[in-house]
Amino acid sequence: MVFNSLTFIAFFAIVLAIHSLPLAWKIRKVNLLIASYLFYSAWNPPFVILLWISTVVDWYAAQGLVRAQRPVARRAWMLLSVVANLGMLGYFKYGGFLLANFTALLASVGVAYHAPAPDIVLPVGISFYTFATMSYTLDVYLRRALPARNFLDYALFVTFFPHLVAGPIMRPTELVPQFEQPRRATRRQLFFGLALMTIGMFNKVVLADGFLAKAAETVYDTDKIPGALDAWMGTLAFSGQIFCDFAGYSTIAIGVAMCLGFAMPDNFRFPYGAIGFSDFWRRWHITLSSWLRDYLYIPLGGNRHGPRRTYAALMGTMLLGGLWHGASWTFVAWGGLHGIYLSVERWLRRHFAGFRPNVWALLAFGLITYALVNVTWVFFRAKTFSRAWTVLGGMVGANDKAVPLLGTESLVVVTAIIAGLVVTHWLMRDRTLESLLARAPAAVLSCTWAVMAFAIIATQGNGNAFIYFQF
Amino acid sequence: MSQENAFPGSADSTLVVERSASAEARIAVRPGLRLTAADRPGVAQPVPERDIPDRPWGAILLAALVMTALMLGAWEWHWRSFGVEPSLANSDALWATQRRRIDHGEGDGATVLIGSSRMLFDLQLPVWQKLSGTRPIQLALEGTSPMFALEDLADDPNFRNGRLLVGVAPDIFFSGFAYRADVLRYFDKQSPSQRIGQWLSMHFVEPFLAFDDPDFALPTVLERQNWWPVRAGMHPRKDVRKLMVVVDEDRASHIWDKLEEDPAYAALAQGIWAQHFALRPGDSPAALQKGADEQIARAAKAVGKLRKRNVEVIFVRTPSAQKYLAFEDKVFPRAKTWDVLLAKTGAPGVHFQDHPELQGFWLPEWSHLAAGDAVRFTQALYAIVERDIERKTPKSVARVRRR
Repeated sequence: MVFNSLTFIAFFAIVLAIHSLPLAWKIRKVNLLIASYLFYSAWNPPFVILLWISTVVDWYAAQGLVRAQRPVARRAWMLLSVVANLGMLGYFKYGGFLLANFTALLASVGVAYHAPAPDIVLPVGISFYTFATMSYTLDVYLRRALPARNFLDYALFVTFFPHLVAGPIMRPTELVPQFEQPRRATRRQLFFGLALMTIGMFNKVVLADGFLAKAAETVYDTDKIPGALDAWMGTLAFSGQIFCDFAGYSTIAIGVAMCLGFAMPDNFRFPYGAIGFSDFWRRWHITLSSWLRDYLYIPLGGNRHGPRRTYAALMGTMLLGGLWHGASWTFVAWGGLHGIYLSVERWLRRHFAGFRPNVWALLAFGLITYALVNVTWVFFRAKTFSRAWTVLGGMVGANDKAVPLLGTESLVVVTAIIAGLVVTHWLMRDRTLESLLARAPAAVLSCTWAVMAFAIIATQGNGNAFIYFQF
Repeated sequence: MSQENAFPGSADSTLVVERSASAEARIAVRPGLRLTAADRPGVAQPVPERDIPDRPWGAILLAALVMTALMLGAWEWHWRSFGVEPSLANSDALWATQRRRIDHGEGDGATVLIGSSRMLFDLQLPVWQKLSGTRPIQLALEGTSPMFALEDLADDPNFRNGRLLVGVAPDIFFSGFAYRADVLRYFDKQSPSQRIGQWLSMHFVEPFLAFDDPDFALPTVLERQNWWPVRAGMHPRKDVRKLMVVVDEDRASHIWDKLEEDPAYAALAQGIWAQHFALRPGDSPAALQKGADEQIARAAKAVGKLRKRNVEVIFVRTPSAQKYLAFEDKVFPRAKTWDVLLAKTGAPGVHFQDHPELQGFWLPEWSHLAAGDAVRFTQALYAIVERDIERKTPKSVARVRRR
């Protein structure tokens, strides 16, 4: 079930109504659990079994971790969780990719092997909930957390529908304690939650799907060769589309949880206002980047073993982070580019530690960061390396046989939205949305809310899935 | 990402084990900013805290709801003034409801219609039902060659002992152009959530809102304004506008009244068709004929499969007029397309130019019949099918089909 659908509106109204009834807290939690399974089943009912497997394996793994005395036994319980989760992820998400690469590898040494098409359906959200459940076992293994006190709270942590299929990737310590005490939204929480849902929906339905997606599709989903203007505008459009799509989802999720009385963490912090790439990753998909940092980068050695090891850990983390996004080498290239950016930035910071840029230099660094992030989006958006090179060729003005692809209306709309987005991110880079709203006149808030709601309805979104569902 | 802590130790009674003198103490947070997981490396993340701006949210929401209602009211009034009435959306989901009927018990002996917009607008289901006693299943899709549906039905054993009317609009059928062929993929993968959404939309939204039509979506409306100058090197192409109205849940449809009542709108539609009358570079007669031959070969294969399951396939060349007809005759001449199709498939066909009773209709934009003429066309077509084609069908086949 996607948030931007009539089905979800009806579903959420029913869930909210039951959650608001004067029932025992346990009954209301059971309501949320059942609702969450229905939310997931509404996409493809049989795959709820995978969710149960992931839930049960990690529950027992964490119990085993607590009982185990010897380090070997603890490690075995931890590995059970990791292997089960990564095994599921590997089969469903990377099965076809691995087979294709194996076939290509054999072909490269002269062995003609034609594997049958695996035709594996990717269960929606599997990358998100496997990471959430793994963080539960890993936190217990690393002695950062104790297991949940009861299975209901734990199962609800895994399944809670606002974060289930596309994050924010929750840690058990963020959510399980919230299930220990009765929660029901106050009127202010309910109203502000609805405001957040409207903002998220506006980002997704109006900006991402309504005005930006088409320009990106026109440039990327064609055989025609783009010139500099089209290549840049298509890529900028995608940079806005993916932000509005994913940040929109996160904002809706936070709003939905708030309407039910729960708090979820920030997943984005105005990332296109970043100055440098470490800053970018502290602002973009925060719950994934911090997950990779805590459970991959630091265990790989982090910055504790000298520069070489640090660079290797950085590259390894970002390459795997790229692969997490999709079973394709283009995603690996996307992650690899970010790894290179982070490594270069780290090297520059070490060698120019005394450099103190003025405001104009900071602005220039911000724009350079955004431009280079856009270069990475080319590999993220293009379905093949061939198309990525064509678009990149356009961006540097190297395409001789370019033809115009985007009409005037696309160029104007994309320019307006992206300029607005980048300026907003720059102005908001050291602030939160809430701090801005706290100072805004009530009349302005009402008008803005109404315009957004009208635009959402008038745009008539067709229930397009969020981009990150495929990851 | 480059920051990290040593991992602090043991536990207390709750799930959150430790944060020691952790991130909050070390990191100076600017006013108006809050910490995130990015600021707390290598530790258990605490329960998030979300602040709610101190504003009168109840009053703000109420005012926003009133303003939204007013704006939507104005938007609805605008489109109703333009001549739009609420109608069902011709969505993939609605098509799927009809396709599903074949798999859910109605495929044995059914009359099914496939084709492009002419079959969708011109063949009136209530008229056919009145004459035959059975209401056809309407699977035609605008701007889309029926080949995908023909092949899909040929591979579906649930469709048997029936009759299949295949609409042939030459420029679409013989080129294989398929604007909405993805509908089959949608049908195969449609989720329970999408099915529920379709039901909700069909009962609570579409019958009440005139503006709920892809043609009047905000981005589409903005894009179609005349104020955008044409970019150098680009052709000022216009997309096909709203041409139809769906009047029943089984996709019974007819041409939009505005095309009959508003000459300017009909002229706009004609102008849009005329854009396609100029062939593109690469559309040589030889290439077009090669494409047509491929489509005919695919049709012949599918018809052969259907025939084995006792399905009678009838091709129907629906009317077109004036410049559209001239374009079709020039680019897809009958002798090299329609006649070959009937010969290769061995299936009967009804060409409107062969029957006086299928001629003399009004086609406001040269491609689709006026609503009243669609009724007369359906009556005449039914009579021809029953008189000329049913008579030629072997009695055993006809008997099975009538069960």
